[in-house]
Amino acid sequence: MRAAGGSDACGRSARPPSDPPAEITLNGTGASAERRSLLIDEASLADWFRDGMCVALGGLATACHAMIGVRHIIRRGLRNLTVVGSAVGGLDVDLLIGAGCVRKVISPYVGAEALASIGPFYRAAAERGEIEVWECDEGQYYAGLQAAGQMLPFMPTRGGVGTSYPEVNPDLKLFTDPVRGETLLAVPAIEPDLALLHAAQADAYGNVQFVGTGYADRLLWRAATRTLVQVEKVVSNEEIRRAPERTALLAHGVVRAPFGAHPFSSPGFYLEDRPHIALLVEAGRAYARNGDRGPFERYLDRYVRTPADHVEYLEAVGLRRLLALGEY
Amino acid sequence: MDAPSIKELMATFIARDIADGEEVFVGTNLPVIRAGALLAHLHHGPSMRVMVAHTRTNLYHTPVMEYFELLTDWRGARWAEAYFNDNEIVMYQKSRRDSVFFVGALQIDAFGNSNLIGLGPDPRHLTLRGPGAIATTTNASHVRRFYLFVNEHSPRVFVPRCDFVSTVGWGEGGSDSRRRLGLPGGGPRYCITPLAVLDFEETTKRLRLRSVHPGCSIDDVRARTGFELLVPDRVPVTDAPTVEELDILRRRVDPQGLLRR
Repeated sequence: MRAAGGSDACGRSARPPSDPPAEITLNGTGASAERRSLLIDEASLADWFRDGMCVALGGLATACHAMIGVRHIIRRGLRNLTVVGSAVGGLDVDLLIGAGCVRKVISPYVGAEALASIGPFYRAAAERGEIEVWECDEGQYYAGLQAAGQMLPFMPTRGGVGTSYPEVNPDLKLFTDPVRGETLLAVPAIEPDLALLHAAQADAYGNVQFVGTGYADRLLWRAATRTLVQVEKVVSNEEIRRAPERTALLAHGVVRAPFGAHPFSSPGFYLEDRPHIALLVEAGRAYARNGDRGPFERYLDRYVRTPADHVEYLEAVGLRRLLALGEY
Repeated sequence: MDAPSIKELMATFIARDIADGEEVFVGTNLPVIRAGALLAHLHHGPSMRVMVAHTRTNLYHTPVMEYFELLTDWRGARWAEAYFNDNEIVMYQKSRRDSVFFVGALQIDAFGNSNLIGLGPDPRHLTLRGPGAIATTTNASHVRRFYLFVNEHSPRVFVPRCDFVSTVGWGEGGSDSRRRLGLPGGGPRYCITPLAVLDFEETTKRLRLRSVHPGCSIDDVRARTGFELLVPDRVPVTDAPTVEELDILRRRVDPQGLLRR
């Protein structure tokens, strides 16, 4: 019985349980004699992205965004993405909006704190009605992801009762709790097709470990259909097994990505590149001020369109700058 | 020692209202709130639970608490006793029952309801897109009490009606207004501005002038509030920090002098 006919936050209607993933062979035919490596090279990133998909971007604020994947999305000119930014979404989301890849944003915040209190492209595009903003606070955002991870249509929250949220986001529905009779807010599942994350290390089999907490990347992994993780270092399976309690999530694909969060920080490896972030912010502000796309187009040419791959991007940034991003 | 700045005064007011044993979050980009929370901890709160970004710490014997500009600056984790995922901190509100919290705002109405969503009649085309509620909606529904904090006191901020409400204060008014909405948290206690401290009248829960900062008159505050503010017969000047408090602030909490700029 499916009387309500509702949909999840990404706009999909209710659907039947999915078939087992195609790559799993149930009858034993085609089994390989060796454990399959999940390492993928940049050239095959194209297999992971398509127009109109719902992509979750990991990290938080000015840390740990998967920038190789983000630049790949722009280079391929993908369109109409629903972007689930992190709870404190960074300028990774702003960059995608500026490049015209985004139709809808699901994120309680987009910006860079003291470096940009709100993402300039995000603000301009939202005010001009060029993107749809799925309004939510962090509690509602996490509730939606948890619903997806638990394969439930919604998760109740109390945060939002008495506010304008049900009015500014009609997907958030007030309802009477059948157990205690309380008025609560139903947050529909937020189910990304792909979670794109950046972490410290992984082995070739997708065992991913962070330095630090990993923010909410574990939850993005739980909610998403597939998870692609860039890592600073690919390590041996033995190295992972030295501390298995540190393994936070299991990736479907692993990308070797030294400095792969640049210009954002990567705990244990490097701090954020403030002059580079300032370039992005200034380019966005020029557009927001008077529609001048010149600085942003020059940024894209230099750092996104011209470099053929991540190594060429790092060469454009320059070794001296990269090595100056140390902790102390 | 120089006379205390208004920001040092505001931080001191915050500190004196936080008790030992309570939990407080030291955020980034909010130097006055950060200073108030840390001053409470170092002055009279040795057993406070202090959350620095995603870590739980105790800094009671830390000589100088360095200021970090960014939430994700993991150098702040040097004091960590425990580490939490961002989603755990927001989702599990049961542990926040002894937590105090701070809410900023683009707009605040006479009952302390506030708006971080944006300005304009149409939510699909806001004339000003705000920063969004961050986690204030959920946290302010559950924490023991919270404080409204704004860097501007003007009729733009203090409005008869918010364009949108992202955080409930005292709803439609009345001391049972939050209970009627089913919100378990204690609600807003004070509103701290660069001109004054406001509290809530006990029965109606309307904003009322509690004290004015030095150099500011009652008429100034009235004129710069866009609704009728309750004003009692006697309005004191906001208390200044003691020598000891000012010493902790300047030597251990804010050696960079962010509160004196």
